[in-house]
Amino acid sequence: MPESSNALIELRNVSKNFGPNKVLRDVSFELYPGEIHSLVGENGAGKSTSLGLMYGLLQPDAGEVCIEGKPVTIESPAHAKALGVSCVFQELSLAGGVSVAENIFAGHTPARFGVIDRATLKKQAEALLADFGVDIDVMQNVDNLSISMRQIVEIAKALSLKSKILLLDEPTSALTPDEVESLFLVLKKLAKKGIGIIYISHHMSEIFSICDRITTLRDGRQINTYQVAHTHSGQIVSDMIGGEVPISQSSNTNVRGPVVLEAENLTLAGEFKDISFCLHSAEIIGIAGLMGSRRSLIAKTIAGLVSGWSGEMRIKNTPVHFCSLLAAIQAGVGYVPQERKTEGLFLDFSVCDNLIAASLEKHTKHGVLSKASAAKTAAQAIADFSIKTDSHDIPMRSLSGGNQQKVMLAKWLERDPKILVIDEPTKGVDIGAKFQIHRELRKRANNGMAIVVVSSDFSELATLVDRIIVVRDGEIAGEIQACDASEEKILKLAASGLQAKQPTKILTSRSTVS
Amino acid sequence: MSSTKSMPSFTAENASVNPSIVVRLLRNILKTRETTLLILILAIVVTMSVVSPYFLSVGNFRAVAVGMMPTAIIVIGMAILLASGGFDLSVGSVMALSSTVVALLLVAGVPIPLAVGLGLVLGAVAGLINGLLITRVGINPLVATLGTMSIARGFALVLTEGYSISNLPKEFGFIGKASVAGIPAFDLAMRHSRFFRQVYFIGANEKAALLSGIAVNKVRIIGYVITGTLAALAGVLLASRLMSGTPTAGSALELQVLAAAVIGGASLRGGEGTIMGAFLGVVFVALINNSMTMLAVSIYWQVIVTGTVLVSAVAIDMLVRRKVA
Repeated sequence: MPESSNALIELRNVSKNFGPNKVLRDVSFELYPGEIHSLVGENGAGKSTSLGLMYGLLQPDAGEVCIEGKPVTIESPAHAKALGVSCVFQELSLAGGVSVAENIFAGHTPARFGVIDRATLKKQAEALLADFGVDIDVMQNVDNLSISMRQIVEIAKALSLKSKILLLDEPTSALTPDEVESLFLVLKKLAKKGIGIIYISHHMSEIFSICDRITTLRDGRQINTYQVAHTHSGQIVSDMIGGEVPISQSSNTNVRGPVVLEAENLTLAGEFKDISFCLHSAEIIGIAGLMGSRRSLIAKTIAGLVSGWSGEMRIKNTPVHFCSLLAAIQAGVGYVPQERKTEGLFLDFSVCDNLIAASLEKHTKHGVLSKASAAKTAAQAIADFSIKTDSHDIPMRSLSGGNQQKVMLAKWLERDPKILVIDEPTKGVDIGAKFQIHRELRKRANNGMAIVVVSSDFSELATLVDRIIVVRDGEIAGEIQACDASEEKILKLAASGLQAKQPTKILTSRSTVS
Repeated sequence: MSSTKSMPSFTAENASVNPSIVVRLLRNILKTRETTLLILILAIVVTMSVVSPYFLSVGNFRAVAVGMMPTAIIVIGMAILLASGGFDLSVGSVMALSSTVVALLLVAGVPIPLAVGLGLVLGAVAGLINGLLITRVGINPLVATLGTMSIARGFALVLTEGYSISNLPKEFGFIGKASVAGIPAFDLAMRHSRFFRQVYFIGANEKAALLSGIAVNKVRIIGYVITGTLAALAGVLLASRLMSGTPTAGSALELQVLAAAVIGGASLRGGEGTIMGAFLGVVFVALINNSMTMLAVSIYWQVIVTGTVLVSAVAIDMLVRRKVA
């Protein structure tokens, strides 16, 4: 990078405390024009805090934030935007019920005499999205878009401000390989124009394929800043976890038990058809598929959240036909949803309350909840999953994403279901937390639980599960045993026949370290 | 970082993380809306005892208690509904309807226990209808209960042709002296029972509650049935006290109840608030109004003050939370 030029934005010896927690200690890095700079670290390492400081959500307790060499106090996101800093968060912030174009230009809608200039709005929005190779009707309601499309709209929204500094927090977590490719093209184009980009991601291969420099953080401390050419993923990971890379446990050593769940020709008109498989106790199976493969819908059907399906389902040889989650729960099925913030957790309630939410009756005697029993459960779950929290009584919201994910999972394991269905067990979770979640799932399976994991992260499936059922367009495309599963094989099955493209190239952009 | 909502703390007290003594002190005092209100109520009582010789008397307190009775009973249900993310505008009308129906039954010679029972069942049915409209049909609580509010009021007027029904049997008068033991009982249940814990979960995140295996619709319907029944109970007690059934009773009561509950710490966003808080909210508003009457402030000004208290209570709460966070 042109070290001589002035940095666009710089953190100088910045520290930040939340009460007694030192979340950032003496961190310094800078972002140059045209640079893509990655911040990596486990959840709670200080990435989001750094982002918050640059985006005016937080102010440093010590040190300073400089823009173009001048120390500034960024008072608010609006102030940050005025200074040329835009940010796209992991959680989408689009306004439902409003058109794509209006969302993109929210806050600076083109208008003539106070009346929205629809023609200009449409033209500008289309031009922005064309950069992504995306061709959609920009006047349609954003609610009609898929999650990945919304993510792209979100980034377009940030770019519409003509910012010099773009902060991206896990921008690819909901994107398909194709969309990731087109996003990267756009980011490279932006960098060429002199825009500086801070890029946060857990996907090591993404970081190495797109970033110029990498700053590693651990427990709020800056470990190192590297030129990409002078480092490798092993070094980054060991910086992040502070030691050697944990070797993921071999998964196919355990002996699977009797069949617990049999699905025969599950069909839902217009969605999926003839889905048949069986699941043994003490076994983890994966359902893999690209976006639109209906992998999540199949999981939801098993959990009783879908009605109107046909076919047969048997649990321990007893035919069942769930039409509600409650019925499925009665039959011993647990379901961990994909979206922890909107579907999984009660963010304003305490960690303890969240942990017991799915098993209230277990802690109830004569209709009265027992504090002692709940606290005991919470302490156990916090220990089992190494959940990082000051106590079980602080609000869920204050935990990092990985720890929230652990709580959501622990909530269901607390019920000890016979069959556990999990949609994206480690979405947006760092390597350490991912490892702990995988370890805990394997432990439960070894104790006899039957687990179905749905994931778009094929490398996760390849290491975690015993068997992988690959679905494509709502039909089973094939089954792969763990012993010869690889990300590439899964992707080939999941994508074959869809379109002629080079899967290997896509692979490089998605593979993660685990 | 946000502070935990004022759901009754189920686990131990929050660990304090505030460095400043002033903030910590403020926070401890204002930690629960209940203590804040209790302090304010005591302040009113002390001040008024000094200012007015008539305030500190059994007669005055009895008048305040009797006056706030319908609100105090109905606010229990409203607090439950608010915690679950809903509310009920039909409470005032259902109270009037039950008071007139019970009065009509009594005049027709139906025995007192049966008449009272039927009145309560009527309230439960009204609540059930609200609950079904909201959960099964999917009508927004505002629209659904606005509709039933109008319908219930209409029935009360049709049945009585707009007149109050009096000449009730003398024995009926004793019912009005029912105790307020219901408040602490409901408060304890709300804090410690599984059922009400589900209410909070639903109010905080309905989707997550559903996916946690909580029978969301059932719990919400039960909330409306409880509220309808309590509104009917208030109607019965009112009829007993006045010895007549009044079809126009309790108009705008729903808004007074909502205001008191919110002053007591409930929120229209759901997931928070307690019964004791809501009850203290009722007491607080009743005492303020009583004080103003004592001080010969016009009744019209009292309405303005109630509104100001409502907005200030919520505003102060927001500011304190922001400071503490």
